Amino acid sequence: MSEATADAGSGESTLGNTDGRLLIAGGVVGAFALLFVVGTLFPDSTVGTLSYLLLQPGPWSSMLTLAVPITLAAVGGIFAEKSGVINIGLEGLLIISAFTAIFAADTTGSLWVGFGAAILASVLLALVFAVVCIEFRADQIIAGLAIWLIALGFAPFAARIVYGSPNTVSLTNSVPAVRHAGIPVVSPVFQTLSTTNALGPAQALFRASPSVYLMFGVVALGWYLLNRTNFGMWVRASGENPKALDTSGVNVHRVRYAAVLLSGVFAGMGGAALSYNIGQFTGSGQTMVNGKGFIAIVAYLFGNYNPVGAMLSTFLFTLLEAIQNPLQTAGIGVPSDLIGTLPYIGVIVVLALVGRTRIPEAAGDHYETGEDR
Amino acid sequence: MDRRKFLKGVGVAGVVSLAGCTGGPDESTETDGENQSDQQQGGTGTDTTSGNESESTGTDSTDGGSGDGSDVNVGMVYATGGLGDGSFNDQAQTGLNRAAQDLGVSFNESEPSQVSEFARFQQSFAQSQDPDYDLVSCIGFLQAEALTETAGQYPDQDFMIVDATVDADNVANYLFAEHQGSYLVGQMAGLLTTQEFAAGAGETNPEETTVGFVGGAEGSLIGKFEAGFTAGVKAVDSNIQVLSNYVGGSSPFNDPTAGKAAANSMYNNGADIVYHAAGNTGTGVFNAAKEQGRFAIGVDRDQSVTKPNSADVILASMVKRVDTAVYNSIEAVVNGNFEGGANTTLGLEQEGVKVVYGDQIGGDIPEEVKTQVSDARQQIIDGGIEVPTDPSNV
Repeated sequence: MSEATADAGSGESTLGNTDGRLLIAGGVVGAFALLFVVGTLFPDSTVGTLSYLLLQPGPWSSMLTLAVPITLAAVGGIFAEKSGVINIGLEGLLIISAFTAIFAADTTGSLWVGFGAAILASVLLALVFAVVCIEFRADQIIAGLAIWLIALGFAPFAARIVYGSPNTVSLTNSVPAVRHAGIPVVSPVFQTLSTTNALGPAQALFRASPSVYLMFGVVALGWYLLNRTNFGMWVRASGENPKALDTSGVNVHRVRYAAVLLSGVFAGMGGAALSYNIGQFTGSGQTMVNGKGFIAIVAYLFGNYNPVGAMLSTFLFTLLEAIQNPLQTAGIGVPSDLIGTLPYIGVIVVLALVGRTRIPEAAGDHYETGEDR
Repeated sequence: MDRRKFLKGVGVAGVVSLAGCTGGPDESTETDGENQSDQQQGGTGTDTTSGNESESTGTDSTDGGSGDGSDVNVGMVYATGGLGDGSFNDQAQTGLNRAAQDLGVSFNESEPSQVSEFARFQQSFAQSQDPDYDLVSCIGFLQAEALTETAGQYPDQDFMIVDATVDADNVANYLFAEHQGSYLVGQMAGLLTTQEFAAGAGETNPEETTVGFVGGAEGSLIGKFEAGFTAGVKAVDSNIQVLSNYVGGSSPFNDPTAGKAAANSMYNNGADIVYHAAGNTGTGVFNAAKEQGRFAIGVDRDQSVTKPNSADVILASMVKRVDTAVYNSIEAVVNGNFEGGANTTLGLEQEGVKVVYGDQIGGDIPEEVKTQVSDARQQIIDGGIEVPTDPSNV
């Protein structure tokens, strides 16, 4: 990539090019509005059932829970890719942390230790990836695939050694929803709000497990870090024009290390949240992560490297997954395999037709201080 | 730059070799590198992979049994949920272990993680010379298609399959009357949802008379569970609503996250008891029941024992004695009366299926409910109740 094109992108606003996405967001809102209008007019039709179901908190609750690992991994992926390191090993980071969370929590009996160990395991794996990519200049895609395959092989293998099967045992303790956690003042308030029917779907917000609030926190933190701090500026510069960053006296390698390790931290939280939700790690086949790391990549591309955008696009995907259950019980079958492919179809449409996702200029390239490029 | 090229090369080689290592058990049919579940673990288990054993000389690489002279070797191909599912596969393993202990047979196990791998594992057992397997056990209806082909290719090898019928002279088919057992738990669920009942960590929802069913993959087998359950519920009161959901997807029997979402959606819709027939996906159902303070019904094994963390919400389990099928077929081989091409159906009468009340809260279930359930059992055995096998006929 030439320097000239690298400069062309530097005038971009912090939110990126949003018009294409606004179109999609508008389209989604419009579709919902239409759905509710038609649903109200014809309550007995399929659309009527659908709009009725969407007014219940249940699907929204599921949507939030399902979105947690994907969104957290996506925010991590944004940092890595914005700094110029394409981290397609997110899936692997989720797998390793999902397993480690259960293993450590089961061994020590403490969910907090499990959570910390999960983040640590994910960061260590991300460190391997960072060293290979940044220090030894390996191809990022190949290294990322290796990270995924290592985790995909290692986690079920470790589970088999420890538990005698690719599935771990179920934890005896679980993370309670905030409303059941017995926190003074907060829990009763949440309990009341979560059963106030007047709130409609918003009740879901108060039924969630702590991981959902963690997700909101990380998204806000991610957005702030990326757009309002020096570190965020460095990360973006390191991905767009590392030479300029280097010239201004910032060590590009260190910025990239920090960004990749940060992706490890966030993905680690996501993996722990995923397995804590069930209290078990299932390791056969594609493991319980089952492509969530890849959907995370899709989600942040869809969201144009904006953590908020990534979260909203994740919501779109997981709502489709969540609504499928009540639809099926209501007698409207939607094949789950089809739902599973929608994120990928969506991203192709967005990348090809809307075409506003601009990959950081230097993403995938190595940067060597002092090297004449 | 040399270093760069070198590392790239190492990286590629690493990925390729990693994929290679995790490949199939049989070098001639090596395909993709996406499975890594071919290690086995016998009862006393060393962990030689089955890939080595076709080349190994000398004694058996993994000897599951204590071995008292019987030289019968059994190859076991589990269903995709894998061991540790606390239901189907573990139940099959129980039978295998019992056979190893009582009959002194040796065995090797394999756990395919995808449907596409069944044929490969079946064939590697069938063509193995050392040890020469006297019987290859195939667990789960998803293996039927692969076995139809494999059985034709190896006419001298004896097979047995659980849950499906393969039309071949060298295959013994073991079927279960799951609909009969499901009818009984359906009856129990129907009786309980219409009354106020609390036990352990759960309680029924007195405002609604709704129960739920979560299945793995849609099809005739899981349809039998649904049909029996629904019929049992409706026999109590035809106004009780039965919500039904199939998880589907790429791993229908090992997707607890999806199982939890499905069950949660039912509990949110007023269901108070959810029955599952979805292998390890059911772990998510139990999880949802605990979270919502409702009940669940286990399947295949006494899941209040195999999933002790959920024992406070598991009312009962529809036990399916896959172990009996496995054991009986091995016993037949040992005694030399293995009957290829035969269909054996194990129903309530043969105790192939039965209701086992929960270890922890089963005792709280009112006696009159249990009496009605056992009356229904007798009537089914006597032919007084005809249980449907197709959910669309309920």
